[in-house]
Amino acid sequence: MSTYAGTLSRSRLSDPKTVGVVGIALGVLAFVLAIPPVTLRSAVWPVVIGFVALVFGIVAISRGATRVGGGAIAAGIAGTALALLAIQSSVSNLDQVVDASLIAQMLVFATPLTFAAVGGMFSERSGVVNIGLEGMMLMGAFWGIWGADKTGNWFLGVLIAMLAGGLLALVHAFFAIHLRADQIVGGTAVNFLALGITGYFFVQLYHGGNIPTGVSQIPSLHLTSASSSTFFGDSFGNLNYMIWAAILLVPLSYVVMFKTPLGLRIRACGEHPRAADTVGINVYVVRYASVVLSGVLAAMGGAYLTVGYLNTFNENVTAGRGFIALAALIFGNWRPFGAFGAALLFGLSTAVALRLHVYSDLASTLFQALPYVLTLIAVAGVIGRTIPPAAVGRPYKKQ
Amino acid sequence: MKRVDLGVFNVIKAVQAGKFKGNHDLKFTLANGGMSVGEINPAVPRVFIDAVEAATVLEMRGITKRFPGVVADDRVDFELRPGEVHALLGENGAGKSTLMNILYGLYKPDEGEIALKGSRVSFASAKDAIDSGIGMVHQHFMLIPVMSVAENIVLEVEPTKAGVLLDYDAAVEQVRDISTRFGLVVDPNAKVEDISVGQQQRVEILKALYRGAEILILDEPTAVLTPQEAGELFSIIKSLQADGTSIIFISHKLNEVLEIADRITVLRRGKRIDTIPREGATEDGLARMMVGRDVLLRVDKPAANPGDVVLEVKGLNVQDERGLAVVRDVTFSVRAGEIVGIAGVEGNGQSELIETITGLRHADTGEISVGGRRITHATARRMLDAGVGHIPEDRQRLGLVLEFSIAENIALHDYPFPPNSRWGWLFPRRLAQRARELIKEFDIRGGGPQTSASSLSGGNQQKLVAAREVARDPKVLIAAQPTRGLDVGAIEYLHRRLVEERDEGRAILLVSLELDEALSLSDRILVMYEGRIVAEHGATANEEQIGLEMLGGRRKEPAPA
Repeated sequence: MSTYAGTLSRSRLSDPKTVGVVGIALGVLAFVLAIPPVTLRSAVWPVVIGFVALVFGIVAISRGATRVGGGAIAAGIAGTALALLAIQSSVSNLDQVVDASLIAQMLVFATPLTFAAVGGMFSERSGVVNIGLEGMMLMGAFWGIWGADKTGNWFLGVLIAMLAGGLLALVHAFFAIHLRADQIVGGTAVNFLALGITGYFFVQLYHGGNIPTGVSQIPSLHLTSASSSTFFGDSFGNLNYMIWAAILLVPLSYVVMFKTPLGLRIRACGEHPRAADTVGINVYVVRYASVVLSGVLAAMGGAYLTVGYLNTFNENVTAGRGFIALAALIFGNWRPFGAFGAALLFGLSTAVALRLHVYSDLASTLFQALPYVLTLIAVAGVIGRTIPPAAVGRPYKKQ
Repeated sequence: MKRVDLGVFNVIKAVQAGKFKGNHDLKFTLANGGMSVGEINPAVPRVFIDAVEAATVLEMRGITKRFPGVVADDRVDFELRPGEVHALLGENGAGKSTLMNILYGLYKPDEGEIALKGSRVSFASAKDAIDSGIGMVHQHFMLIPVMSVAENIVLEVEPTKAGVLLDYDAAVEQVRDISTRFGLVVDPNAKVEDISVGQQQRVEILKALYRGAEILILDEPTAVLTPQEAGELFSIIKSLQADGTSIIFISHKLNEVLEIADRITVLRRGKRIDTIPREGATEDGLARMMVGRDVLLRVDKPAANPGDVVLEVKGLNVQDERGLAVVRDVTFSVRAGEIVGIAGVEGNGQSELIETITGLRHADTGEISVGGRRITHATARRMLDAGVGHIPEDRQRLGLVLEFSIAENIALHDYPFPPNSRWGWLFPRRLAQRARELIKEFDIRGGGPQTSASSLSGGNQQKLVAAREVARDPKVLIAAQPTRGLDVGAIEYLHRRLVEERDEGRAILLVSLELDEALSLSDRILVMYEGRIVAEHGATANEEQIGLEMLGGRRKEPAPA
């Protein structure tokens, strides 16, 4: 038994890719040891572990896994450096930045991005670029809170948001699919259209003032009692329904996209619409449905922002989150789990950036740019290649 | 052969229903949609037997399809018998593909009717045609490169489990079953982008068979294949035929049609010229039917009169993008007034050799000189100035800017010089004037100087490229597969033109994958195999010998079934 395990681990370890991945993990570990809850105050362990990560990276590169190996080296150096920085700073400051609620906050920021990114995945996998996610989110944000306010029911508010987002997506679909307009220009127009519609009705319906307080809000799911404070309780115990919905959406959309005939057909339309057409798939129907679905999902993200989190609305409340969702989608290689991971990364960096104010405003602002630097690197193909659907952005014309 | 009307299937149905039983002891077996006659009693009236033998599985009557400005198909009749290979022969633009796209439900005919097994059908979409047992393998494959073979095959008719989930394992199993049944070996789990073009074509065929195709349309199936792959395709076609599948084989290559078809229907400018059995058909006769006049299939050329060496290549070594040696130690020369042909199977370094000589690829070692001037590492522009003319193998990608007009395409090299331009100022009228002259001289049909190159037919696009290159009066003319994808009329013109240019005293380097062409045009032939020149022959070379050398000296293995 033990020998079997031994040979197994040895054979796994001899794979240079595994070596590289372990190196990356060690690099991260070097940093994690220096921050709460572990909070090592001695530099010895982070430096040693970081060094080991470096060695693993070099081994991986020398055996041909250059990308993963490079990642391990970078992780080793960055992990050690960050750990040393953390050790330099005071424990009280560290505790303010890193605690269990950081996870909850990360999820809060990641949720709207996840909805929109998964929505965008459906649209782009079917072959339609959806740069209008931002506008669809904004529609959801405004009409969601309007609905919750007028009906007094957050659930109806979210439904109205979905309807509004779907309608705007229908406009985009009509221009992109039916009229074969340029999808980037069309999407940009849709964004401005949404800005105009929500801005106008915000002034018209609320006289430019604030949404009244006490609008029906999406409740949270209480898993632990409020009095006890555990790590799990602080991180996952008190999350909004919409956050859980986003977390469930990810595996669900994965199954739909990659494990059902429907998903296969959607992907076929985005890769080679004529091939799909010649086996009898109606490319137009698939694309319309996918774009509308993307609008509905993006609007749910917007609705979470206003009805679930802020409980109010400001003009342009989404502030570019739709574009960030698009970046998450690309970073995640047009895959649900990839997009979710990217959304979590962006959410984490936003959450950490907010907390870095205890050090300096400068650090906070600078840190906020980090995920987008990562996105650029990812798109440029340094960390694995991101490959868009082959026919994305190209209108389909039946013969 | 006796002409049979649509009614024959109704007669057969009546026989099956027992209406004629007692009088005529007929047994019919329906297998795979094809129909064969079992024991036929001699007492059965002759007309019945004729009718059954000539039974058509598909009948297209008076099909007319108009596009703005052209009549693509003009009252075309076409009929297909069960289990036959029926070739549809015609020049590019003769209406073959349009006719088949109508059959496959992609176009709606303006007039005419289609009957399948005796009953009238009308297809609104490809799905209708598929559901009626028609499959089509398009010239440009309709496969999704990033998906697996199995996913491509089952797309839209996917096996499911639990109602909604895609049953991928079942799909793989079904694809395996069907591929062993028809002898088409593919790996169901391989990604389409990772397999060869020949295998991709098998996937396309399997895709049709998986959907229960009884009639298979193959649209110019050999255009993308190497000679070996074409041989394999032909044995696949024969085994499908034996299985009862009826096959429509679209082509403009005479030798293929004569090899594989049972009957041949010739189309010319949208009209059906005739349908003839293969027996008794000849290349010359078919070519005449296709083009409408006598065509010179063999090149008639006087003996060469070589002068000084113009192009000289010494010890050339070239690597491809992955660092593999693709051209190895190649040395040869071409003299003024001779045509030197390079024969070889595609992918043996010919393309890379040409690209290096024309300055599109970097040479590792070795030397290239034109007229005594060393131009080994020169840019494409300097190569052109040194007197190299290039008719590239991919005219649409390397030869033309498709969106540009004929006049602009002709000026692609010489636009910066007078009379085309002066002080950075272009003179469009002079470009147009020049274009008019060349259009006339090279007989480019289908438009004037301002017509965009994309709207020309393949043959006229190639004439346009040739016009530009020849008009520059190059010392060396490099022609890479100058007749690829062209019909016989255009091929005849280009061949004659190349010989004329030779006689004008140009050195011509010809690369051709068609051994026939290399043999008939060249004064000397070099055989390329795995990047090396493995043999050289004079004008009277032995075709079989060269064929062997092209395959590395080994005898060609029989194609796996």
